[in-house]
Amino acid sequence: MSRVELVGPDQAPLLARAYYPEEGQASPIVRALAQVPELLEVAMPFIARVFGPTSVDLRTKEIVVLRVSAINGCRYCVDAHTVAAWDAGLTQAETAALRGPVAGFSTAEEALVAFCDAFCNTPAPVPEDVMRCFRTHFAEHAIVELSLLAGATAMLNRFCTALELPTTPATRARLEAAM
Amino acid sequence: MSSASCTAGTLAAAIDAGRVADRLWLYSNYHCNLHCVYCLTESSPRADRRLLASKDMIAAADEAVALGYRALGVTGGEPFLVRDMPERLAALAQRLPTLVLTNATLFARRLLDRMRPLADLPLSVQISLDSAEPQINDQLRGPGNFAKVVEAIPRLIDMGIPVRIATTGDHNTADEMERLCALHRSLGVGDDDHVVRPIVRRGRAVDDRLGVVADAKDLFPELTLTVDGAFWSPFAPTVHGGRLDTDLLLTRQRLPLHDPTRALLALADANPAGTDTTLNIR
Repeated sequence: MSRVELVGPDQAPLLARAYYPEEGQASPIVRALAQVPELLEVAMPFIARVFGPTSVDLRTKEIVVLRVSAINGCRYCVDAHTVAAWDAGLTQAETAALRGPVAGFSTAEEALVAFCDAFCNTPAPVPEDVMRCFRTHFAEHAIVELSLLAGATAMLNRFCTALELPTTPATRARLEAAM
Repeated sequence: MSSASCTAGTLAAAIDAGRVADRLWLYSNYHCNLHCVYCLTESSPRADRRLLASKDMIAAADEAVALGYRALGVTGGEPFLVRDMPERLAALAQRLPTLVLTNATLFARRLLDRMRPLADLPLSVQISLDSAEPQINDQLRGPGNFAKVVEAIPRLIDMGIPVRIATTGDHNTADEMERLCALHRSLGVGDDDHVVRPIVRRGRAVDDRLGVVADAKDLFPELTLTVDGAFWSPFAPTVHGGRLDTDLLLTRQRLPLHDPTRALLALADANPAGTDTTLNIR
């Protein structure tokens, strides 16, 4: 299914081995990037830092990742981050809503979703009225961080969709169990 | 301090401490006129050539000088299937002492004439010879190999080109090894220039489960460049089933050389001291 060879653990290059767990499979993103270990070596710490725990709470961050991924139509990222969003405290109704017209969120989160929608409307800047509303709920440093998160998400959306990376069996199982 | 000079200082210290090799290896090509049973790279006349361009080899040599590598090695495949190999070797040996590995089956008069200028440069030739018994050697390396090798070695030495002999495998009994040593001495190659190493179970050797299994900790770190990238050791960029092995790949990027060198040094530091010495795969 993948458009590139996903490197298995037996062929994982030296710099990539740390990203292959002893039990279970490395993610398809890791297995694709392992083709170029020097890029994997810098990309994965970047991804881990941007998508992992920071000063902005994970629920807020998963709203950004899932919304941007849904707008960009990335099946891999929507699947992976629907599950990640559940783990970050979003309900199934909330993750479903982020894939369509948004309702049932707080005013701050609706401002965040409006920011994400505008963020994906490239190449235009985010409109001033959207920014103004966004600013009333989020500090300057959080705006920078969430913008980088949205941008990193869009990058991975294109990477995963263009290369048709497969949803992992573990993610698929959790999605099917929730149906 | 630039990252390149930082890497140079670290490299010099690591070489002096015996943590990494002082030699940069270059895979010129992967095809070969032979089809040896234990070949790491599944080389044969029909193998994918994977040619490393002359300008890339020379650029790597220039950077090797700047970084503080102290020697070069050229291997393949059979390097002398590359048409301009004598001229490439001259360019490399003008930069650093160079060792080229060959099966020595292609040294006809015209090629030897083109190699004559190499006698004035720090160039050595390492020739594979696996047995003093022609039949045993040729079973491993191909029909007629033994006769060509024992003819080529004195010719090279007479031209003033130093020769080393490499014996691969542990098939020789003590008596057979003694006869092999007597043979190489009679050909003009001393004991210090005869290396014996095990077959490494990679490439074609996997199919018949020959030799020893070796991972990074079993192989001395010797930066090795091929057309596919930079690797841990000359025993690393192997091919099995027609596919390049990437388990000992360092970086896809070859140049600037300080990038793969930095990766090699970082990984070598993570290896416990002395871990490569058990199998003596050099």
